[in-house]
Amino acid sequence: MIRQLLISSWAVAALTTWSAAAADRAFRVQPVMGKLLDQYCFSCHDDTAKGDVRLDNLESLALDARLDLLNRMQEQIFIGEMPPKKKKQPAEAERNLLVEWLSKELQAHGASKLEDKLRKPEYGNVLDHDKLFSGKYKDLPGFTPDRRWLISEFIFDAKFNRILGFNPRKLIDGKHQYVIGDNSRTGVNLTNPFLLPTHSGVRYYDTTMLSGGHLLTMINNAREASGFMLSQAKRNSSIPAFNKVMAAEWEHEKILAARQSYLDGNIEPLLRELYQGRHAALLPVFVATRIEPPTKAGNFDTDVGRDDKTAIWDAMQKHFTGSQIDEALIMKCEREWFNSGVHERSIQIRQNFMRGNKSELIRRFKLLPKPSEVKAPKPPADSELINAALRKHRKAGDTYSAIIAKCMGGWAEEFKQERLKTQPLSDTQIGDLVEQLFTKIIERAPSGQEKAEYSTLTKSYVQKLGTGKAINKLSQSMILRSDIVYRFEFGEGQADEHGRKMLSPRDASYAIAYALTDSSPDKLLVEAANSGRLNTREDYRREVQRMLKARDQYYVIDGAVPIAIDSFTDLPIRKLRFFREFFGYPALHAIFKDNKRFGGDYAHPYTTGRLVAEADMLVEHILKADKDVFARLLTTEEFYIYHSGDNQAMTATTANIRQIYEYFKDKDWKNFNAEQLKAHMPFLKEHPIPNVALDTIGGEPPRSLVAFKATMASYQERLGNGQTASVPFYSFFGAAAAAKNRTAGGLVGEQVAKCYGLDLVNWNYPAVQPAKVEHRKGMLTHPAWLIAFAGNTHTDPVRRGKWVREKLLAGTVPDLPITVDAVVPEDHHQTLRSRFAKVTEAEYCWKCHERMNPLGYSFEMYDDFGRFRTQESLEHPDNLIKKMPDKGSPQADLRDIYKTLPVDAKGKLVGTGDTNLDGDIKDAIDLSERLAKSTRVRQSIIRYAFRYFMGRNEVLSDSKTLIDADQAYVQSGGSFDAVIVSLLTSDSFIYRKPVTN
Amino acid sequence: MKTRRDFFKTTVLGAGALSLTPYLDAFGAAAKNNGFPKRFVFIRKSNGERPDEVALPSLSEKDKALDEKKQPLVVDLDRHELPVYLQGLEKHKANMTILQGLSCMMSENGHMSYSSVMGAFKSNQNSISGIKRATIDFELAKLFPSPFGHVELALTGDYAKYRTGIVSGYSASGPHQRNYSYADPQTALDELFRAVTNPIGVDSDNAMLKFLENDESFKARILQGYEKQKLSNHISAIEEIQARNLKLSKMAGSIAKHIPQLGKIHENGGVTASSPQKCEAMTEVLIAALITGMTNVVTYTIDELQTPMRGLPGNESDTVNIHSIGHNGSFSGVPAAKIRENIRILHMQQVARIVERLKAEPEGKGTMFDNTMIMYFPENGETHHGYGYEMPIVILAGNNCKLDMAGRYIRLPFHGTEGHKTLGNWYTTLLNAHGNPIKHYGDFDLEMSRKKLDQTGSIKQFLG
Repeated sequence: MIRQLLISSWAVAALTTWSAAAADRAFRVQPVMGKLLDQYCFSCHDDTAKGDVRLDNLESLALDARLDLLNRMQEQIFIGEMPPKKKKQPAEAERNLLVEWLSKELQAHGASKLEDKLRKPEYGNVLDHDKLFSGKYKDLPGFTPDRRWLISEFIFDAKFNRILGFNPRKLIDGKHQYVIGDNSRTGVNLTNPFLLPTHSGVRYYDTTMLSGGHLLTMINNAREASGFMLSQAKRNSSIPAFNKVMAAEWEHEKILAARQSYLDGNIEPLLRELYQGRHAALLPVFVATRIEPPTKAGNFDTDVGRDDKTAIWDAMQKHFTGSQIDEALIMKCEREWFNSGVHERSIQIRQNFMRGNKSELIRRFKLLPKPSEVKAPKPPADSELINAALRKHRKAGDTYSAIIAKCMGGWAEEFKQERLKTQPLSDTQIGDLVEQLFTKIIERAPSGQEKAEYSTLTKSYVQKLGTGKAINKLSQSMILRSDIVYRFEFGEGQADEHGRKMLSPRDASYAIAYALTDSSPDKLLVEAANSGRLNTREDYRREVQRMLKARDQYYVIDGAVPIAIDSFTDLPIRKLRFFREFFGYPALHAIFKDNKRFGGDYAHPYTTGRLVAEADMLVEHILKADKDVFARLLTTEEFYIYHSGDNQAMTATTANIRQIYEYFKDKDWKNFNAEQLKAHMPFLKEHPIPNVALDTIGGEPPRSLVAFKATMASYQERLGNGQTASVPFYSFFGAAAAAKNRTAGGLVGEQVAKCYGLDLVNWNYPAVQPAKVEHRKGMLTHPAWLIAFAGNTHTDPVRRGKWVREKLLAGTVPDLPITVDAVVPEDHHQTLRSRFAKVTEAEYCWKCHERMNPLGYSFEMYDDFGRFRTQESLEHPDNLIKKMPDKGSPQADLRDIYKTLPVDAKGKLVGTGDTNLDGDIKDAIDLSERLAKSTRVRQSIIRYAFRYFMGRNEVLSDSKTLIDADQAYVQSGGSFDAVIVSLLTSDSFIYRKPVTN
Repeated sequence: MKTRRDFFKTTVLGAGALSLTPYLDAFGAAAKNNGFPKRFVFIRKSNGERPDEVALPSLSEKDKALDEKKQPLVVDLDRHELPVYLQGLEKHKANMTILQGLSCMMSENGHMSYSSVMGAFKSNQNSISGIKRATIDFELAKLFPSPFGHVELALTGDYAKYRTGIVSGYSASGPHQRNYSYADPQTALDELFRAVTNPIGVDSDNAMLKFLENDESFKARILQGYEKQKLSNHISAIEEIQARNLKLSKMAGSIAKHIPQLGKIHENGGVTASSPQKCEAMTEVLIAALITGMTNVVTYTIDELQTPMRGLPGNESDTVNIHSIGHNGSFSGVPAAKIRENIRILHMQQVARIVERLKAEPEGKGTMFDNTMIMYFPENGETHHGYGYEMPIVILAGNNCKLDMAGRYIRLPFHGTEGHKTLGNWYTTLLNAHGNPIKHYGDFDLEMSRKKLDQTGSIKQFLG
């Protein structure tokens, strides 16, 4: 009844008056919209207010409340969540009409939130997939808006490494290679403010804006980086104008340093000579340092620092006459230090060091050059000037250091005045300085206007701060420019008939470089941009293909992987990074687990580090083959497990273990003495055993003999019990690993095998990898992915299902309503699946959960460590059957044994749009096989690749770009390189249009 | 309708992920809690703190037995003698709590905890990507904004000498964000009170910001839509920092009154200063930072395993290696346990200094200490190679403290038993008590989870 009344009121809107005081009288629902709302919405959202949403009283709502509701309506109708799928759906034109109306109403108040939301990564899938790939929109001209894109955490590091000249190398496969992405800078303390979010999918979007926090951090970074950069430039003359303008000041510094050094080394004889008999009377009154003799030997290496040691050597050179360090010597040293003005605390420390390290001091002292052999410091040419200064400044009671400080202060001031009197910096000098600094930092020459502005700024700095500090400030001002924190992508030249312009060549060179790497354009790209060879689609293709083929640069993949585990690639880093971010397995680093539940050492960074690194190796392996990339990623049965990636070396290592075992197994090795072991020296030389040093066999303690027996015992446990090839892990605690990684360190992290349910002493180790592993198919069955999408103590079917829905099926899942407190009920007599079902399969929950759970349940065939299982362990104290030891060998399984229930990994696949694929699924392997065959899955990955390389969500005008990329993939036999080339030569990438209001 | 400035503020403060954001809002923030902010001082010590060293020596036989068996226990401090190293705080007993039985197994243990102990997470040793969230000090700093938001001080070294200047810190303003710390008193003083110590430097900073602002404003004229918004944000950020600098400069007069005079020995990093001299000077800077309102939250790493301890009583001329005394090595005949106690006494002298100086500063109807809470704790657990089963904390809190625990020795149920409380519970309590309603801060303890023991939320009995 009420509904009828309200609807009729819309029909006669002009005549209606509303009494609600808060209502916005200007707002009226147009009759045509009222009709649509009546037809599709009011059955639920009238006065019955389903979901607490009521739409029949829009006109009576206060402005804020109405705008809030209109925003919610706009979003739900636009993304197709409303009306619900089971209800009658509006035609496309009707839906568009409603959205347009809502949008217009909201924009009139500047209150529409949808546009902003649609730019966010989590809204990427709301654009209808079928529409995008239907071909209906492929004639829309593609483009990306002109933009300033905030740099990523990776670009920040690469940029500052470039500015600071930090270019580290790593020994890889026996050769020293430059490696980008090693950010262990020393001597400079930078904070990276441009961290990307940690979700899986695409993390780097153009929507992030610079905030006060970014800027404040950058101000500190600019200070640190400028100081470091200029100190380097002083040494390597990389900014010649800087060295030129600083020449006078540095010359003065040099003179001062020479005088200081001369005085430090000669003050006492100089003063003696100057003051003759009066010298002693002018010395400060000696007060002995309070001291307690040590009762324990000191530590020569750590008790004092280098400066104190040098001071002790110097004093000993002067006063050591006997053969021992005695109290008389220490007293002489003390007195000298006292006269010099050394702080009492340092004197105490030095004396104590001398007393506590007598024998070592003597031993080392005798190795030092004799004073006669040491070249005496040459008196400076201006020694008269020095004598005059000493006379001027010395007062009775002054320590040597006080006299020197006064002399140095006086000269420094004289030099300063001298510089002030001479010609100030010329305009040319300043101009050169600005130009060179600007080019070094911004990577281009300044424009005329920029040069003039920075020159004026420099002059004002010089006036306030003096030359050195002014240049430092100037460089900070440049580091804080927006073209350091933003990457610019603007069109240039003549607009086409659609108002689009091609990227300027310089911006294009950066856009291509940052698409594939984190670094600025390489030399060839810069040349192409400067020489007019980055102006056509073909130019882009040539450069992109060149960069994709290059294998001459190594990149660190993951800085969180311990240094002992290899994590590098020679693929363009962003190509590999797409898949690691898409799958999201690096999130494993943040999931910490209970070692007891693992039954081994899961928590060790070597275990988690190797899991991630080996997932990367597998992705890299598939990318290098570049055939059927998506399908192989989803269905490969071959994995890396505790492997260096060097098949030749790993084969040799496992063969060596076998040969050692075969050689000794029938001998009485358990009872060998050293001589008996030595008898096998020729064999041992050819077949080295870790920790068995041939030259120490027979020595005491008998470490090598013990290591040999422990190793053989371990080999016996492995190969003597039927294992055909041994895992090359260490044989006893403290032993080196049998195998090496590619950077020549020991291969660590053998515990990863347990994530595959493999027993280290009963697994026939495949030396050639990746190798087939049972019960696995593709990245979604890789333990790294399974752990990343699990909790600390349990699996997570919902997150896993959501990932499949969103990443592979281009689907959407609404946010968890704020009214829902998502808690899985505790019940230690049921499986996790059953407990999840209890809370998620109620009607209200199921409308969302049905998009996730049936997919996620299939992964229940693995536990939360990624181990295959058929029974689920009901881990609860009440279900404990057997308590196992808490500590044991690396191969021991220390898991407590609990009651179990059978695992149910059945599920359902809906959403491929292919009736041959949709339907009930047996488990995750069945699911992976079906997904790999799906066109929609392939296209979904293409959509994510689009977002990754464009830094934004796709819109309908990108339809052709997406279809072309998809076709490029299909026609190339599944090449991801073909996808990248297609995307980076698409209209969406090369054309730009200004953003309008 | 949102103005540009509103938008800027919500963007900056809503993100909550970046280190210095709170201080942008410092002058605009309404003072909380009776018009005065709460202050927090976290003092991290290395080398563990053994529960028996914190235990009250005068417990009755019955209570002693409970304490030793790690059974829950509460006694009033005023009826008991304090352990030797705490006796310097005897007159502040009414403000003191000795809290035993908290565990910290969800953070790193062993020799060092790095960033993890302040954030109740496993940090994958010292990796930046292992920093999971803003640490508790930064969370509290958000609740009580100040010009510097949060200040971190650290007396660290390389066994032979103290480090100087600005070094990596352990606190974190957000996930993967490592803070920095001031490693020597003079640097801390110069950086925190730059408006007074280096007005020319501040002037040139402002000139630089003005230049940047003009440059960006010029570009803004040619942009539209959300691209203009990006630039507008950039300009607003510059304006805000300029405004802050200006206000700090105007406050220079009142700041100057409280700036400590550090001895010449602290010049150029103070390489020859003894450990007591370092501690005292750093504490003076800390106190001045609180009194001047530069910050309301300080994290003070008072020592680390590599800090060279020089000038300790009985070891005046030794450079005591903290790592070595952790392994029970003696120096100059002084046993390790005694040296460890002497170090704690030195630490407590700093705590007493802070308490007494803040008690001498009037604030409202009371003193600044009334609104202050000092927590002294071992960063890695109960011993040199911490396990994390226990992490004794000594707390000094003023009369307006929102937690009901003063004047007591409290031992909570032991780890892995019903009613046990973790570091996460403690931090949740701090946040809940001061206006952050978070359900639980920090990671869960995996053994508690395995045993299906409740471990969520605050420690209700402390909330009164």
